[in-house]
Amino acid sequence: MTLRLRLFALVAVLVTLTVVLVTSVVASSARQAFATLDAQRTAAIAAQIRREFAVQQDQIAQRLERIAASDTVQRTVTELGRSTADPARHVGDAGPLAAAQGLDFLDLVDDRGKILSSAQTPARFGYRHPAWADGGAAAPATPAALLQRIDLPSEHAVGFIATRTVTAGDHRLYVIGGRRLDDQFLAALVLPEGMRVRLYRDGDPATDAMRPLAARVRQTRQDAHERIGGGDGVESVAAIPLSGHDGEVLAVLLIASSDRELSDLMSRIRWTGVLAGALGIALGCGVSYLVASRVTRPIESLVDAVRDVADGRWNVDPPATDASGEVGALARSFARMTAQLSEQRDRLVQAERVAAWRELARRLAHELKNPLFPLRITIDNLRRAKALAPGEFDEVFDESLGTLTTGLASLNTVVARFSDFARMPVPEFAEVPPNDIVRHALKLFDAQLAAADRPPIRVASDLDASVEPIEADADQLGRALLNLLLNAIDAMPQGGELTIRTRRAKGGVRIDVADTGEGLTGEERARLFTPYYTTKQHGTGLGLAIVQSVVADHRGRIWVESEPGRGTTFHIELPQSHETHMS
Amino acid sequence: MRRFRFVWLAIASAPLAAAAVHGARAQYGGTLRVETRANVHALDPTATPLDRVDAAAARRIESLVFDTLTHVDPAGGLRPRLATSWESDRGGARWRFHLRPGVALHDGTALEAWQVAAALRAVSAGWSTSIDGDAVLIESQRPRPELPWELADARFAVAVRRSSSSVVGTGPFRLERIEASRIILRAHDACWSARPFLDAIEIMMGRAGAAQLTDLESNRADIVDVSPADARRLTDHGLRVITTRPLQGYALVFEPHKADAASDRLREMFAGSLDRSAIANVLLQGRAEPAVALLPSWVSGYPEAFAGRTLTRTAKAADRLPPEQRTVSLRVDSADPVARLIGDRIAVDAREVGFTVTVQAPAGLAPRPDVRLVRITLDANIPTLVLARLVAELGPRALSLATAEQPPPADAPLAAALAFERALLQGSMIVPVVRVPDLYGLADGVEAFSGEPVDATGTWNFANVSLHAAARSRGRP
Repeated sequence: MTLRLRLFALVAVLVTLTVVLVTSVVASSARQAFATLDAQRTAAIAAQIRREFAVQQDQIAQRLERIAASDTVQRTVTELGRSTADPARHVGDAGPLAAAQGLDFLDLVDDRGKILSSAQTPARFGYRHPAWADGGAAAPATPAALLQRIDLPSEHAVGFIATRTVTAGDHRLYVIGGRRLDDQFLAALVLPEGMRVRLYRDGDPATDAMRPLAARVRQTRQDAHERIGGGDGVESVAAIPLSGHDGEVLAVLLIASSDRELSDLMSRIRWTGVLAGALGIALGCGVSYLVASRVTRPIESLVDAVRDVADGRWNVDPPATDASGEVGALARSFARMTAQLSEQRDRLVQAERVAAWRELARRLAHELKNPLFPLRITIDNLRRAKALAPGEFDEVFDESLGTLTTGLASLNTVVARFSDFARMPVPEFAEVPPNDIVRHALKLFDAQLAAADRPPIRVASDLDASVEPIEADADQLGRALLNLLLNAIDAMPQGGELTIRTRRAKGGVRIDVADTGEGLTGEERARLFTPYYTTKQHGTGLGLAIVQSVVADHRGRIWVESEPGRGTTFHIELPQSHETHMS
Repeated sequence: MRRFRFVWLAIASAPLAAAAVHGARAQYGGTLRVETRANVHALDPTATPLDRVDAAAARRIESLVFDTLTHVDPAGGLRPRLATSWESDRGGARWRFHLRPGVALHDGTALEAWQVAAALRAVSAGWSTSIDGDAVLIESQRPRPELPWELADARFAVAVRRSSSSVVGTGPFRLERIEASRIILRAHDACWSARPFLDAIEIMMGRAGAAQLTDLESNRADIVDVSPADARRLTDHGLRVITTRPLQGYALVFEPHKADAASDRLREMFAGSLDRSAIANVLLQGRAEPAVALLPSWVSGYPEAFAGRTLTRTAKAADRLPPEQRTVSLRVDSADPVARLIGDRIAVDAREVGFTVTVQAPAGLAPRPDVRLVRITLDANIPTLVLARLVAELGPRALSLATAEQPPPADAPLAAALAFERALLQGSMIVPVVRVPDLYGLADGVEAFSGEPVDATGTWNFANVSLHAAARSRGRP
């Protein structure tokens, strides 16, 4: 990863973290603010409900007062005082009275506690009213409506109930009635958007999720709060116990505040955070690009210069030496280092050149010394033979002439070999199949390898058919392969296995020539491609130098793998096109 | 002077006398507006609607259009109608009914004996019919001494079929139009018993009870159905309410899964919790009568106690029952307001002794109940016929659970009917509750020339009904 990319990523991460942090803080603050607001709204609604309860209680008391003063009730209480009173006549009185006054419950009860007429349970006439259930003489007349439980055939309802006593002579009639406290009762409340008020009822699917909360409130008789629901339907529910005059919790009022508004706000905050983050990242990227460009440009110049030096181009321009700070110091040090390296390289080249000349001189001396010694002896013999008889002189002269001719021929051969190496021809490139060159080279050794007087060498040819033609000089490449094959054969005087293999390489072809001979030492491997270096008794030391020269001319590379006793393998990689390098 | 006074008194009294005579004499004309909650879609004695209320209303309307051979008056006496006389052989297996001469059908043709025989054959109840001159012969395998009473039933009204969908009768009114919610009958001018006072009758069907009362009180209807619980309200408003004798009974019928011996105490306690007197006298405003027997005395002729039950309430605390037996679901007919009232009171009574009662009044499918409140039709003249209808209404399953005995045949003696009724009630699988009459509210302008517009047997006596001048002046439907 480049420095610029790293800087870019760093800025992006920093911006993201900052946005996330800010978003979290804002969201947390918003949530707290909402919680506070919700608590205030719940308290306001609860106060509103209590006021509404008080209003309803007053209305119930007034309506009951009107019922008590109505002709129907007055006539009823009067008739009940007669000995011929027929209670059955009044069984249907409560319904119309309750309907006329908008009451949900109304019982007309005689002074023995027996129901004469009931609006909510018309069939209960004749039975004792629940207020007299404990055998009491009479229910107390309550000035205000109180919350009470009303047992209906199919449910237990809750309502505000008041009682009025109507007296005629010795007879009394109790008018007991009120209104049901239910969701319809609560529907009159004006609630802020997102809030709703319900009464908890056992078995009501709409409030079923709030059962544990309601149970807790019933048990503790105190307010409780809970968040109920999941997903978008989360509500903050405040549960308020509604108790009767004896303290028993008769109903639980649920004030639910939808979290949708909060959830919408949180969503908006999230999206704002995402947008801000995206913008910040984009801005940060732009800024970081500019900054990174300014910071990394000298470094990149340095990297390019280093890459050039690594590729062998030593004469690079000193990069960014005018930069300030550490990068400038680094650039200047690098320039100084490359200058020193270049100077050292020149000195090394010069030293190698001297060494090469010395080696050449040594080899020349060695090569020329052997033929020259017989020539000098022959010349000395001729000088001595001048004193011999002409017949003997002629005999010596002919013999010496032959020796001189042979010696000169030998000198000529040496000189020709050196001349050949000095004058390696420029390769002529053409598209050639590497496998064909390998096969042709191997073919030249068929007879030699098949000779009966030499130890057997098995040839293993493993040529990849998918290898494509390359641009190469077939003659020079074949000559290089001949040298490698010859070396391999020479390395196995006791016989062995010669393997030649071709494979597709990245951008070219790879040719491996392996033997199972004695192998090379480390020193031998180091000097293997040095001209005139040989380990053979009669070698010139030019074979592998020629191979290396051919490979270099083809812009390829050659290397050797060998261990003493484990054979030797030469690897050649050649590019598809001679205009490209093998890396 | 004394003579002079009498003259002046006579002169001054003349308009009053004339007015009295005028008021007592029925006037012709006008349309009687009748409302009912029933729905009748065809008038044909051979077809009976499935719904009991609809079937009863159909019989009432058919009695205005079709005549029977005989008729049972409110006092229980057998009267001639299309048949002027009848006689039988000694055993009662062969009957000869002499037809009234000159009876005209609604289409103006004369009624002939073969048409009567064909009509009776269409509703054959185990007899064969033939004619002999102007007489109709009815023969059966068994003696049928009660046959003239049987033939007074509206089922055996003579309907002459003109086509697959058209029948005509000889009654005081002919069918003019029948619509989804309205039937219009027009006076039969050539009726053998005299032309009715009314020109037409408009019957509005499917009307809810409250709507009927409102229409009656606002003078938009002349005769409406009235629930016993509403009767007092009408009389308090100065309107007339006429009542028949109890023509329907209500009984609790336990479902088969409560018929086992383990539920004996449940049934007994549940039946014992009933306060029939409160239901009849308070809830139904004294218009109903408590019932401990299925057959009313006026049908059976014997006291109800003979059926083996007493009216005394025997409430016992249900907490002696296993908990699972204390919960009872009671189903009532949602379309029957009287049944709903009674059901609610039964539930209250049962709750008072410790039962947990759920009252179901489903309009459609509902969970299986434990006990049903069943309405029983009692408008028949013969005990065996009432029992036969009761058996049909209860269904064979409930009957087989209540008793292994078979219902007595129509001509069975009274003792057989009594024995069968006692068997039905034994074990409290079937528990009679109350018997309820039909009640009708009448508008001011409705008068009957003789009797009431609806007689005690429930028959619509509209051929004798006339309207006051103000009511007559209303437009023709």
